[in-house]
Amino acid sequence: MTARSSRRFKAALLAPLLLTLAACADKAPLDTLEPKGPEARAIDQLSDPVFAVAGVVFLLVQFGVLYLAIKFRKRKDDDDSLPPQVHGNFKLEIGWTILPALVLAAVGAGSVFTILDLADTPKDAQEITVIGQQWWWEYRYDVDHDGKDDIVTANDLVIPAGEPIALTITSRDVIHSFWIPALNGKRDAVPGREHPLTIEADEPGVFRGQCTEFCGLSHGYMRMRVVALSPADYEAWLVNQLTDAEVPADTLAKAGMDQFRTSCSACHLVRGDGGNEDLFKGAAQVSGAAPNLTHFASRGVFAGGIFDLWVDGDGNGEVDTVELGQQLNVADLKKWLRDPPGEKPMYPQGSRGMPNLELTDKQIDALVAYLKTLE
Amino acid sequence: MAIEKRPSDVPALTSGVGVARAPLGVFARPRAKTGWRSWVSTVDHKKIGIMYGAASLFFFVIGGVEALLIRAQLAAPGQKLLSAALYNQVFTMHGITMIFLVVMPMGAAFMNYLMPLQIGARDVAFPRLNALSFWTFLFGGIFLNTSWFLGGGADGGWFAYAPNTGVIFSPSHGMDFYAIGLQITGIASLIGGVNLVVTALNMRAPGMTLMKMPVFTWMSLVTQVLLVFAIPVISVALFLLTFDRLFDANFFNVGQGADPLLWEHLFWIFGHPEVYILILPAFGIVSEIIPVFSRKPIFGYPFMVFSGIAIGFMGWGVWAHHMFASGLGPISVAAFSVSTMFIAVPTGVKILNWMATLWGGKISFTTPLLFSIGLVAMFTIGGLSGVTHAVAPADTQQTDTYYIVAHFHYVIFGGALFGFLGGFYFWWPKVFGYFLNDKIGKVHFWLTLIGFNLTFGPMHILGLQGMSRRIQTYRDGYGFNFWNLVSTVGAFVIALSVLLFFVNIVRSKREAGSLPPPGPDPWDARSLEWSIPSPTPEHNFDDDPIVTELDHWWHQKYQEDESGRVVKVHEPEEIAMIGDGSRAHLPAPSYWPITLSAAFPLIGYGVIFNLAVAFVGAAVLLGSMVGWALEPPDDEDQAPHGHDDHDGADDDPAVDASEELTSEGEEVIVND
Repeated sequence: MTARSSRRFKAALLAPLLLTLAACADKAPLDTLEPKGPEARAIDQLSDPVFAVAGVVFLLVQFGVLYLAIKFRKRKDDDDSLPPQVHGNFKLEIGWTILPALVLAAVGAGSVFTILDLADTPKDAQEITVIGQQWWWEYRYDVDHDGKDDIVTANDLVIPAGEPIALTITSRDVIHSFWIPALNGKRDAVPGREHPLTIEADEPGVFRGQCTEFCGLSHGYMRMRVVALSPADYEAWLVNQLTDAEVPADTLAKAGMDQFRTSCSACHLVRGDGGNEDLFKGAAQVSGAAPNLTHFASRGVFAGGIFDLWVDGDGNGEVDTVELGQQLNVADLKKWLRDPPGEKPMYPQGSRGMPNLELTDKQIDALVAYLKTLE
Repeated sequence: MAIEKRPSDVPALTSGVGVARAPLGVFARPRAKTGWRSWVSTVDHKKIGIMYGAASLFFFVIGGVEALLIRAQLAAPGQKLLSAALYNQVFTMHGITMIFLVVMPMGAAFMNYLMPLQIGARDVAFPRLNALSFWTFLFGGIFLNTSWFLGGGADGGWFAYAPNTGVIFSPSHGMDFYAIGLQITGIASLIGGVNLVVTALNMRAPGMTLMKMPVFTWMSLVTQVLLVFAIPVISVALFLLTFDRLFDANFFNVGQGADPLLWEHLFWIFGHPEVYILILPAFGIVSEIIPVFSRKPIFGYPFMVFSGIAIGFMGWGVWAHHMFASGLGPISVAAFSVSTMFIAVPTGVKILNWMATLWGGKISFTTPLLFSIGLVAMFTIGGLSGVTHAVAPADTQQTDTYYIVAHFHYVIFGGALFGFLGGFYFWWPKVFGYFLNDKIGKVHFWLTLIGFNLTFGPMHILGLQGMSRRIQTYRDGYGFNFWNLVSTVGAFVIALSVLLFFVNIVRSKREAGSLPPPGPDPWDARSLEWSIPSPTPEHNFDDDPIVTELDHWWHQKYQEDESGRVVKVHEPEEIAMIGDGSRAHLPAPSYWPITLSAAFPLIGYGVIFNLAVAFVGAAVLLGSMVGWALEPPDDEDQAPHGHDDHDGADDDPAVDASEELTSEGEEVIVND
């Protein structure tokens, strides 16, 4: 290598490092290095020093190789004699076998402690069941501990901030993976198995997630959020979720209710007089489930988390808790009702996902009016 | 003497007694030395190695186009260049193609071509099985890719987690092609594995003890042992999947009480050793190249060998690190986390020993060396990111994100592929008798290095920013846009570098006539393949080399003078073999390997579409087996033009050649 090409070599190696630093300025709601809860923080505190050690070794090897390449290059005035023929150095090699082993043993010990810590679920943590199916998440709450789930909701997992939540994660069809990077690592949702995972949010806020185990056609569109509320807001949310839907007063919404009962009862349930409990026989889906819409308008997103249900009032790219219940995102809701498989890859012909119901504009207007009443 | 001769009182089974000369009257005994017939009937490990290389480059183009489609789709958020259905097929087939149809056969190309040469053998232990292995691989690869025209490619990811691969969730025939196609390539790997293990253990030249074998041959041996044990595990898993999909079995049907983790365990018990199957041959290649261009012996030969063996053993104890998020429970996770840490130790030893080999050397920066140093630098990055996700809690943040995609591309591309590219430039003159252009080669290297880092470097950032793998698209506002675009640009730079490699092959071939031939040993190299003419003559060695030490060929050229200094005492041309094949006995070519392997895809299509075709395939299979069994190992109408490989001492010209074989008992070389 000439001196010129070795400089190029160096530049090629440095570029990624510099660019890494530049990237930290980006807004990244799924960032794995920005913990917002004690579990995620425990992971971060464990991995930071590991990254640091890896970084040091990285620099040592890269610059070591460069140094060797420059220092021991064959010179122009080489006399063609052989360099010293060294066959090895037993002590040296034993040394660089044992030294990394010791470093790794230290890292391993730290890992084991953190693994065991994270596996501990606090005794009186609130329990919520998380169920994955193609291609959305359901959450079930047993508020009064009678063994029956009182609240069934979708997409937005609502939790109180500042206390640990014990999730039980499972699936109704294929393997999914539940992951809110700001709160904890991921845990697979495997059909037939129940996996525990503890999450906790330090402060109220919205934390985004994305299914991370490949689960078929719409894997990339299977998103979820955790909405952490202050304890008072959470109590209010619970009270509201336990109510049933009532028959809407507005005529258009009433027409929407009738339309809902006709077109949607094969899959979706709305509890109460203003719903379709009498018609609903379980969802005609491979998973046997479709989102329960009793409190549809209390959520922040719909269609497996791909659309915001409310308009982003302050335009910060995030529908915050304060914007919930403000201005309905009518445009996306209509688009979705007009052609669901066109908005999100699904396989309705095999009962996996929502079919195109060929609704008229009038029917869609009525449905939107009705859905808005389901607060 | 490494060869154990079979006792002569065992009757030679393969010669048969009074077998028809044109076996079964189906095929005339193939005799072509050139032209396509010589290729389809060859049992020569060198021709087979070349075909492995050519096929792997062919599939490399296919897998590369798939990669470009993926990167084009992900260049910007919310793109709809590929539908979700097509995207899932493309990334699945990209993975399958690159692993099973590119990196594995590319390794096989080097191992097939070089292992017999490095151990001073005339061929592999079972030449016809070698041909069978290649054709089975090739037909398996073609079979897999025909799925594009028969309802769509596999769409469950290369890891194919159940139950997403069941017929309900993957209704096209793609996963059937996956299950049966990989079964076929698995047969090829298994046959090749047995063959090369026996070759390394039994075919070594006189005096070449195990600890005098070149490091490349050692790494090949470890690789093949891994294959022999790993392939049966994936075979079982694939059979379960095939029966679930085609015959309504319930191995992965959760409704019937099955546990999907069965597949995950089986797959990764195969899948992790597979990683070492991909990388160890490249480690071997680099261990040959670095000493040659540093003009020093490999630093710590025993450590290089034993670290390779250690990787081979430890590779079996770490599979569950692919499953840290799968819900195994804290004890399993902790145990596999720690075991995974320690597999970094032997790998680190290799890196440091390569660096120590460079230390104090006189380094010539040829293209092979550049790629080898590239491997040392790039593989280190992959190894370090590997350590960061051996830390299981950290891995739960990293697994199934682009951080993992970055990691394994640094291992497989930055490791295996860099090694192979270096190997191409290094052994090209030996194989084809002319050099690849070194100037273009250097541009090729820098383009590859830059394109590679542009493509996969940003994926570390994307992964840590939380971008999931295997997603058809991503949303604006997640901070993914910029780095995805950079990565896509990088992918096209890689494409350019690959194009340049092909240009180099064509140009160098055209220029070869006007340049001086490379001679037997153009690099002043160390192992036995450089002691014979370039290109390698059909019979390899005129006589068995007698080996007395490690790097025997180098020590024939260099010796200590009176003052104890090591100096050159012979030019390679003076002492190299001259390519006189008159004393060599070669196994005869045969059509049966290709006909037998053609049966596998027939059976595959039959099982998927129409069982009648499967019966035709089965008939071809059985017929070929019978034909093969009855075909004498040697062409009886052709008097062998020399005595057998290792029988020089008791050669008796009065004895009829075919009788000679019978009376002395066959060696493994012709008795497959």
